[in-house]
Amino acid sequence: MKITNGKDFWAGLMFMGFGLGFVVVSQDYAMGTAVRMGPAYFPTVLGAMLVVLGAIVFFRAFVSKVHEPIHVFPFRWIPAAVGLILGVIAYYTQATRQSGIAWEIGHMILSGISVVLLFAAFGPRSLWIVLAGVVMFGYLLKPIGLVLATFVLIFVSAAGGHEFKWKEVSFLSVLLAIFSVYAFVKGLGLPMNIWPDFLE
Amino acid sequence: MESLIANLGIGFGVALSLANLLYCLLGVLLGTLIGVLPGIGPVATIAMLLPVTFTLPPVSALIMLAGIYYGAQYGGSTTAILVNLPGESSSVVTCLDGYQMARQGRAGAALGIAALGSFFAGCCATVIIALFAPPLAEVALKFGPAEYFSLMVLGLIAAVVLAHGSVVKAVAMVIFGLLLGLVGTDVNSGVARFNFGISELSDGIGFVSVAMGVFGFAEIIGNLEQKEQREIFTKKVTGLLPTWQDIKDATPSILRGTTLGSALGILPGGGALLASFAAYTLEKKASKNSANFGKGAIQGVAAPESANNAGAQTSFIPLLTLGIPSNPVMALMIGAMMIQGIAPGPQVMTERPQLFWGMIASMWVGNLMLVVLNLPLIGMWIKLLTVPYRVLYPSILLFCCIGVYSISNAPFDVMQTAIFGVVGYVFVKLECEPAPLILGFILGPLMEENLRRAMLLSRGDPVVFFTRPISLTMLVIAAFLLTIVVLPAVRKKREEAFVEA
Repeated sequence: MKITNGKDFWAGLMFMGFGLGFVVVSQDYAMGTAVRMGPAYFPTVLGAMLVVLGAIVFFRAFVSKVHEPIHVFPFRWIPAAVGLILGVIAYYTQATRQSGIAWEIGHMILSGISVVLLFAAFGPRSLWIVLAGVVMFGYLLKPIGLVLATFVLIFVSAAGGHEFKWKEVSFLSVLLAIFSVYAFVKGLGLPMNIWPDFLE
Repeated sequence: MESLIANLGIGFGVALSLANLLYCLLGVLLGTLIGVLPGIGPVATIAMLLPVTFTLPPVSALIMLAGIYYGAQYGGSTTAILVNLPGESSSVVTCLDGYQMARQGRAGAALGIAALGSFFAGCCATVIIALFAPPLAEVALKFGPAEYFSLMVLGLIAAVVLAHGSVVKAVAMVIFGLLLGLVGTDVNSGVARFNFGISELSDGIGFVSVAMGVFGFAEIIGNLEQKEQREIFTKKVTGLLPTWQDIKDATPSILRGTTLGSALGILPGGGALLASFAAYTLEKKASKNSANFGKGAIQGVAAPESANNAGAQTSFIPLLTLGIPSNPVMALMIGAMMIQGIAPGPQVMTERPQLFWGMIASMWVGNLMLVVLNLPLIGMWIKLLTVPYRVLYPSILLFCCIGVYSISNAPFDVMQTAIFGVVGYVFVKLECEPAPLILGFILGPLMEENLRRAMLLSRGDPVVFFTRPISLTMLVIAAFLLTIVVLPAVRKKREEAFVEA
């Protein structure tokens, strides 16, 4: 048995994994009967169908006449493993009402790092750098305000491209920060901080 | 006939109000602006601009979205002609002859005929919608849950059959989408499903996040992965108006393209993509000197451009009358309607005539604006094409992020979108089409709801789907479609058709 079509191999595994996941998690909910379907009924049926289809795609990978390499996209084990471990820690240390602000911020940083590491496990350099910029923007917008968050997003995401020109990126950040403040906050009236909390 | 005129009267009354004209104009402009950027098609454009419309009243929001759609479609053709980069699969065929015309210095004529053809097709399609939507909605009002369930099965199957690539993978993607759509609180039992204790997920996965991540972010990452290399004909674009000879050559093609496109757009799973491919093939067969095709034949631009615009518009018919999206763009429109608090379906026409007819009238207005705007503004769009991608993509990202964040002021939504960006990237790499996923995602909860109701009414007897005639017909068609694509002979032909065009 030799894998000829790497794309089908991974796609099949992906479908089977997700299908199985949905079936397993569904078992926590009530199944019900065909007359009165419970919340588990439809997802269980669909999940099972996804597993079957995934299996077909998976086995096709061994008989396909189309040849695709098994390395479909870059995958790095170390960030994947570390990200996963940090993610599990973050999941079990979620902030409760009693925990202070320091705990909350610490937890946010921890989960942010774990997500970015998981991004970094896949694909080209640009993928995780650009998406790290996006995640940072999301979490920083409220504490540091739109202007500075825009700078963070533009600088980080521009670093994910092929060339990075300091002058150009700085100019673009200033321009976009001014534009978004006037268009979105003043114009459309979106409720966003323009500057960091302590300055307003 | 009289009621038609009266209805269109209501519609134009709504569409021609100053505010709505402004939103339509804004939509067309923004749509063209983003759609012109290489590598960004209508789906990505609409996904990115969706949040902008959420603050508007429902009618204006939908009018603006429809405007964005036509704008993006037209912008995509502009890029196809000038840069030989199709923004979306539906403008792939426009590249063939359009780019050749541009190389011969006739980019102006190609752009002009594309605009005029689209406008003509848009006018015809508007009339077709106004004529056919009401009777269809009337039929649909008689549908019970069993019919709805079967209709959705048919719609999803048809979408799979007409997509290119592996059928098995496409069906798997539909089911994956249906499952993702089920995340969140179950309406019947109130149980929060698949949320893993994350409170933000109890309302379900954000529809905008999925669409923007899978179509928008994944697209940007894909573009960054390749080195940019473009050859743009910016200096040679002069004389936007086609000559009389051009118009004479193109008229029959525009007519044929419009007819074919309108018919194909109504089919579930149809729309702009299929329409443009089919029109190009038909034109090649119909032409006396088919050897010219691919070398800059004006018919090769006129026919697919008219067809994709006609198809784009008539695909609103199943959306407005049945509440079923026939392609990913319509799925986005349904998502927008739901966020606005409108339950899509046949009752929209009777309960909200202002919205229904206003939107139809605005389609015509939007098409007119496209022609009027684009002939003079083409120079500006060309300038935009010369802006390097390294400047464009951070700006696009910023607007996406602000848009997603503003939906509920939640950082979680932004992160969710980034995650779907990775998912979308993986899909592209594994050759799994994301379009069926988004259709499934929208239809997931609806399908479950109708399945439950149908089974409750039939006391748990699944035979109900086969005894009710309309339901049976739809299931038979679905089964038929699925069997024929799996047949080896047809499969080969289908692959050829997508490769050839």
